[in-house]
Amino acid sequence: MKKLSLLLLGMVLILFLAACGGDETSSEETDESGNNETEGTESEDSGEEASGDEEVTLRIAWWGSQPRHDYTLEVIEMYEEQNPNVTIEPEYASWDDYWQKLAPQAAANELPDIIAMDLSYLSQYSQNNQLADLTPFLGEQIDVSNISDNAVSGGEVGDGIYGFNLGVNALGFHYNPEVLAEAGIDEIPEDWTWEDYQEMSKQAAEQDIYFDNALKADVFFNYYLRTQGKRLYAEDGSGLGYEDDQLFVDFFTMVQEQVEMGATPTPDFLAQLAGPEDDPVVKGEGVGIFQWSNQFVGLEDISGLDFKMAPTPGPNVSDGLFLKPSMFFSVSENSAAKEAAAEFISYFVNDIEANKLILGDRGVPVSSEVLSALKEEVSDSQAAVFEYIEWVEDNSSPMGAADPAGAGEIIELIDGLSEQISYGEITPEDAATNFRTQAESILGN
Amino acid sequence: MNTHMKQNLWGYAFIGPFVIGFLAFTIIPIISSLYFSFTSYDLFNPPRWIGLENFEKMFTSDPRYLHSLRITFIYVFVGVPLRLGFALLVAMLLNTASRAVGLYRTMYYLPSLIGGSVAVAIMWRNIFGDEGIVNLALLSMGIDPIRWFGDPTAALWMLIFLSVWQFGSSMLIFLAGLKSIPQSYYEAASVDGASFFQKFFNITIPMLSPVILFNAIMQTIAAFMTFVPAFIISKGTGGPLDGTLLYSLYLFKQGFEFFHMGYASAMAWVMLIIIAILTSLIFLSSKYWVHYESEGGK
Repeated sequence: MKKLSLLLLGMVLILFLAACGGDETSSEETDESGNNETEGTESEDSGEEASGDEEVTLRIAWWGSQPRHDYTLEVIEMYEEQNPNVTIEPEYASWDDYWQKLAPQAAANELPDIIAMDLSYLSQYSQNNQLADLTPFLGEQIDVSNISDNAVSGGEVGDGIYGFNLGVNALGFHYNPEVLAEAGIDEIPEDWTWEDYQEMSKQAAEQDIYFDNALKADVFFNYYLRTQGKRLYAEDGSGLGYEDDQLFVDFFTMVQEQVEMGATPTPDFLAQLAGPEDDPVVKGEGVGIFQWSNQFVGLEDISGLDFKMAPTPGPNVSDGLFLKPSMFFSVSENSAAKEAAAEFISYFVNDIEANKLILGDRGVPVSSEVLSALKEEVSDSQAAVFEYIEWVEDNSSPMGAADPAGAGEIIELIDGLSEQISYGEITPEDAATNFRTQAESILGN
Repeated sequence: MNTHMKQNLWGYAFIGPFVIGFLAFTIIPIISSLYFSFTSYDLFNPPRWIGLENFEKMFTSDPRYLHSLRITFIYVFVGVPLRLGFALLVAMLLNTASRAVGLYRTMYYLPSLIGGSVAVAIMWRNIFGDEGIVNLALLSMGIDPIRWFGDPTAALWMLIFLSVWQFGSSMLIFLAGLKSIPQSYYEAASVDGASFFQKFFNITIPMLSPVILFNAIMQTIAAFMTFVPAFIISKGTGGPLDGTLLYSLYLFKQGFEFFHMGYASAMAWVMLIIIAILTSLIFLSSKYWVHYESEGGK
């Protein structure tokens, strides 16, 4: 009888374990971060011993596609070789999956030690006390001797630096000179304006050539507002950063006219495209794309065509343009090994060998030394991007406060309204009022 | 320990895994979601009790919610009857004795096995693309190609077609139901000179009505919860112009894109109530049209 009960107990235990199998990884993680905690406090006690002999385990998470995963893993391996006491556990996913996974981890206080962070989420995570202020590490664990203050302050929220800038991007117009010539236009001057843009669009449309493939509403409306001395979001993130709805009307009327004259594809045409390879510009049937500079190399790769870079249309380009941190590494507040995490970030942005693998994939490097070392290494298209960023450095203004916490929802709202305008479902005037009411209620919360 | 108890223990041991899983992954989440539905919860900060505000917002100040509810109703009330009709049609074709019926049955069932998958939703994008087979067929018939992904109404129809195409499981159940109708009824009707349609409406439909009821309920519930096709086909946006923003997709966006977990939980509970009401309506109506052989042909 006793034997049988024992057997039963054993079975129940096994089944219990099996049933909880799905939970195994997370409980392991808790264990590890628990270990870290003791190590972390010890190293804090003994001052600057973080790079000493103590065993440290760091969890690091990022989003991206396969090439990025591959080189990041290589960089991690190199770092582990040079720092045998550090073990790094990578967690990576695609953009969508990444954020859907990160939020529950944050809720459970189980964020990885180092987190790739995007500008649109930086406020949300830092204001909810998920991220550590990196200010105390600057000049200590993180070497900033070759990095400009402007680049570092890209990760500023309130009084602290909550993300370390890994590279910068800037907006531009990436165009195909051959198609431009077909449309009967010689070149796009550096100081072109929105009027020139509309004029050229008309010329292209007359030849049945698309001039661009639509302006991403949230990005370019913000740019347009900046050229007028305003911003999309108020500095403190509590509302919109412009008062005159006429600005909204002007910008989106222009967008609407582009579609009407046939210079920008209709939204139903764009929705029908199966993927980026079907885009008219990629197929050599359109002049160019308004986008971020880190997308330039990809555009040339996927199309097999040669493109050139022009700035966005003016007037007041330098007020509108800014260097956008393409992504950050943040250290989570619940990390027990913040110093070790900061050291890794320093390595990632400053080490030349590591950056020969990264090759500017996370934006144009912020370290001037890395940048000059990379110039000989990179392809022609990447070199063109570096050159453009150098030009933007002299022709831009500071980015200003990071996007507020509700930014994701605002972006969806304005993109939706812009779509409705292009479909002719709503007038720019109505959309302007609509946008203001809804946006203020989202940001006001 | 007596034999009775021993047997019970064995029983508990075997249902143990299910009970533990059910408690941990079903009951507890259900209860917490009920609690969250009365709160404002963004995953980062502790939930804040706001009473019925979420429910109020849904029906008074969220036009996107009402829109999503509307197209979900269209999707269900157009898609489910079409799917059942199609399933019955194919089941009747397969029921006419043929040597390869086993093969056909498997073939027609295949779409249902793979239908909810990501691969099929991606394939659907190609079929309805600019140069996809559907538009080529339309073109050869002299009809202008349709921008399936660009027109909100067309995009919803595309989702409905996808759901009709996955008729396999209802078809199998219909087929079993058809096989259980005694052949003698049809023979007697033939002797009386009944036409095909008379036989269909006076024998097949009444005899099959319990099966129709079962299929209607199951398919309605499943249709309300459709998520994957809408998510993949619209690339997660619910576009164009929110034309494919089915209820679950909007719920997902509220929860995991905007971090309004409280609102999303409230939406889930409203969906549960809507499904419960619809199901009971179908049940209530059944006494007027469902015919149970065992009750003496009431």
